[in-house]
Amino acid sequence: MKNQRMFILSGLLPALLLVLVFTYYPFFKGIVMAFQEYKLFDLRNVHFVGLDNFKAAFKDPKFLMALKNSGYWVFCSLILQFTFGLILALMMKKQFKGRGIYQGFAFYSWALSGFLIGMIWKWMFNSQIGVINDLLLKFGIIHERIGFLSDPKWAMVSNIVANVWYGVAFFAIMLLAALQSVPSELYEAAEMDGAASWRKLMNVTLPYIMPTIIATTLLRAIWIFNDPSIIYGLTNGGPAGSTHILSSLMLDKIIYGGDYGAASAIGIIMMVILLLYTIFFLTVTKAEKVGDF
Amino acid sequence: MASRKKLLATLLTGAVTVGLMAGCGNNSNDSTSSNANANAGASDEKIKLRMIESLTSPNRTKLIQTSIDKFEAANPNIEVEFISPPFDQADNKIRTMLGAKEDIDILEVRDLNVAEMVNNGFVEPLNQYADKWADFGSVTAVAKSVGSVGDKIYFIPNGLYERQLFYRADWFKDLGLTPPKTWDELYETAKKLTDPAKNRFGFSFRGGSGSTGTTDAMILAFNGENVNLEDSMFTKDGASIYSTPEGKAAMELYLKLYKDASPPDSINWGFQEQVQAFTSGVTGMLLQDPDVIQSLTEKMQEGTWATAPLQTGPGGKALLAAGGAGWGIAANSEHKEAAWKLIEFLSSPAENTQFSKDFGLIPVHASAAEDEFFKTGPYKTLLDMSNQPDTFVNYKPAFQYPGNAQWGQVAMESTQALLLGQTNLDDTLKKWDQYWVDEKAKLKK
Repeated sequence: MKNQRMFILSGLLPALLLVLVFTYYPFFKGIVMAFQEYKLFDLRNVHFVGLDNFKAAFKDPKFLMALKNSGYWVFCSLILQFTFGLILALMMKKQFKGRGIYQGFAFYSWALSGFLIGMIWKWMFNSQIGVINDLLLKFGIIHERIGFLSDPKWAMVSNIVANVWYGVAFFAIMLLAALQSVPSELYEAAEMDGAASWRKLMNVTLPYIMPTIIATTLLRAIWIFNDPSIIYGLTNGGPAGSTHILSSLMLDKIIYGGDYGAASAIGIIMMVILLLYTIFFLTVTKAEKVGDF
Repeated sequence: MASRKKLLATLLTGAVTVGLMAGCGNNSNDSTSSNANANAGASDEKIKLRMIESLTSPNRTKLIQTSIDKFEAANPNIEVEFISPPFDQADNKIRTMLGAKEDIDILEVRDLNVAEMVNNGFVEPLNQYADKWADFGSVTAVAKSVGSVGDKIYFIPNGLYERQLFYRADWFKDLGLTPPKTWDELYETAKKLTDPAKNRFGFSFRGGSGSTGTTDAMILAFNGENVNLEDSMFTKDGASIYSTPEGKAAMELYLKLYKDASPPDSINWGFQEQVQAFTSGVTGMLLQDPDVIQSLTEKMQEGTWATAPLQTGPGGKALLAAGGAGWGIAANSEHKEAAWKLIEFLSSPAENTQFSKDFGLIPVHASAAEDEFFKTGPYKTLLDMSNQPDTFVNYKPAFQYPGNAQWGQVAMESTQALLLGQTNLDDTLKKWDQYWVDEKAKLKK
């Protein structure tokens, strides 16, 4: 028996080591750094400073702005991604000629890196040489160029548009898979009861795929919250820090300030937020038996 | 049967574990064996140098690799492994590698991080090697100063960057304009070139990352003679350059330049947008380093653009700083002699001049100025500028301050807030003044 246990342990060892070294070590190191003055410029003078990094964060208007933006960014991106993803999935559920190819094109955005998407949209949104302004002008929809990335009113919206474009494919893929698992008998029964297509959607389709919907939206919210790549590529938090979210602000602290202490403090705050969110997530999933898909 | 399988599985996991640890760990055996022949540069033992670059771009990497190949052919006992991390992450990667004491012999040090490298004890002073180098005498004073912290030189620049004006010669001709000599003239000229209805603007403004290239240049030029050239964020009286009336006048002109003569979108533009706007015919004037010459030559018709010297302030002086990166030796390198040999080769007048020509840089050797290539075309103005040291005064950027690393970001964000009308000029300048006064106090500690 003991032998058996040793055998199991030795079998798990490589995987355990990998996780320990590459997940938990950086994680704990990050926690430690959040309480230290840890600046790249001065690595010989690393020392503990207690809660200073956290206090500085909450005093920083940029941080508070980023906190607010994070909420806005996650909420708007998620709702729009989900809505368009669902519409796309419903449209692709029906068989039509060339569906496979069409699917490939529709899901293409999901295969791109966020940073690249940021770069591409940056050129499209450019108000002087960008294609979006050009088209809007030519169609007579606007008469003056819009500074999509230079006007703080628009900059966050532009980021969200790019993010929605990116994330729609994810929902379309997941929801389409769920839709295809809805048994056709249910629809037949609904038709016999005289249900129109709207009723079928609300009373048959959506309830049936609800577990998938909950699981994907909750997961996706975490990803959107954590992912700075589109913002980093598109506006890099500008103009005047108006489009930073927490994760892009954290990157900013590292790349431009070399301040790992301040960045780690933001990281810890993000973790606390996500922890609260996860508790919420687990409560909801327990109630709805998500994970059955 | 089952026990055999079990044994096999145990062996396999053992192998994976060992492999994992070996992969992550340091190859310490390697370094001890190479330790033995550390000083035996002349022996037959083969030495392997590891070299890492920072300003990576495909074209540039190829040029450097060609030079390295030549070096390897001439020195069969030295093998060079050239590492090219992507530009955006290169400096972080170099820091991490040095921090982790990985085997790096030669690294590309930049003007903006040399103080940090020295402070962390990552790089070796090169004076003892350079003193014995025959060609060191012809290295220009500017190049030496770029590579130095205090009285020690830490890297030999592989070329220098210096700002000049690029302008649309054809537009200027149509409107009968001449290249502006002062910042005030630049504003007036830009205003004349601006016609938003035609999507034309005078000035390729850059309000995003790198914006201090314009704000600081203007503030320095306006402060002119008063600037302490060795401690350029401060005047000779010890006040910060942002606290003077001249500094304020410079920023007032800067705001007008944005509002009246620049694309509104440019508030968040960085290098690429700024250059793209010029090449695609949206803007008429661009302040940039010689490394854009290549792309201008490629994308624009000959004769549509030309160059002019940097603009001066009201006192008739333009302050300019040559910037650059170059090759330094890691402090914990075990092959310092061999590393220097390679640096000496790459920095030789022949190699460096060729590299500068191919990539678009100012060569570090004074003798290269004799080359016909640099006497004509877009490089000529750079040479003209260095021939008038009284007008175009060289200053040492504030690279010795730890806070300089973040200054670009701090200044950029407050400039954007100012341009958007979220703050006023007096508050902004007060904030900048405070930033540098604090930095100075920290440095003195």
